[in-house]
Amino acid sequence: MKKIIQQIVLIFVLSSMMGIGVNFSLIKKYINGEFRQSFLSPEQYPSITFITLGEAEELFTKGEALFIDSRNREAFHAGHIMGAKNIPFEENKEGSALNLSAIPFSKTLVVYCDGDECQSSVELAKFLHEQDFEGIKVFFGGWAEWAKEGLPVSSEDDS
Amino acid sequence: MEAGLNGQKKGCLYLLKMIHNKYILFAFRVVVGGVFIWAGFIKISDPLGFTQSIIYYRVFPPGMSFFLALVLPWIEIICGFFLIFGILRQASSFLLSCLLVLFIVLIAVTILREIDIDCGCFGSLSQKVDYKIILTDSILLFFSLNIFFQKRVTQ
Repeated sequence: MKKIIQQIVLIFVLSSMMGIGVNFSLIKKYINGEFRQSFLSPEQYPSITFITLGEAEELFTKGEALFIDSRNREAFHAGHIMGAKNIPFEENKEGSALNLSAIPFSKTLVVYCDGDECQSSVELAKFLHEQDFEGIKVFFGGWAEWAKEGLPVSSEDDS
Repeated sequence: MEAGLNGQKKGCLYLLKMIHNKYILFAFRVVVGGVFIWAGFIKISDPLGFTQSIIYYRVFPPGMSFFLALVLPWIEIICGFFLIFGILRQASSFLLSCLLVLFIVLIAVTILREIDIDCGCFGSLSQKVDYKIILTDSILLFFSLNIFFQKRVTQ
């Protein structure tokens, strides 16, 4: 039994070293508080949920949701999820100059940004929650995952 | 009555001997190891998404969830490889069994609390938390426990 415990400790140490080593830059960012605010408390933001690519695709196919692109205008014009509206939260983090009039209160909203480590989708989701929108879904995989899968995209200004 | 009990005992021992055939146990190791390696690699590619998945279980605070999201996938991968290649077999199967028990309890509690979330088990390929995941995890736990007790039974 003592031998097994020693081996378990060894596996823990190995895993911790790998986890910390591979994500060292991410840990530094976390300690500096760079993206700590991106993690949502379910109690504070009950109407915000996170969805995967499969769920985003299903909502897109059924036409049940409005996709909102939170990247800057330049990135949006270069390419976005077909039918998405651009609310460039990256350019206006206070949200004061954003035009939300085209966003219906009755529809499910899917917010996305670049994917990977971008935070503007979560920030925009929080902002929309504060404006009393409900049924907000954050698609964490974002534009990178959607485009990689070859799903419908557009570069026209349909916002 | 006693004869019946002896028959049952013999049946159980026969079943145990059959399961503890070295080829079947190797198949268990490949299945459990393979599933955890796959699950671990998917989670490694999106540590922040996995952190949020852990936070949504409403059990661990954000800091703890972040640490778990960085380390847990590596435990899965390392134990998975060790299990397949027969390195530190007992420790690996014990750790994976503990993880599976934790997952089963966590998912059961989440269902009972009626929290509608993705399980986070396979990163972006995750499915909603439901009883099917408990069933899958229970099968994996059965395999993993058999690997852990392999030496004692065959001795």
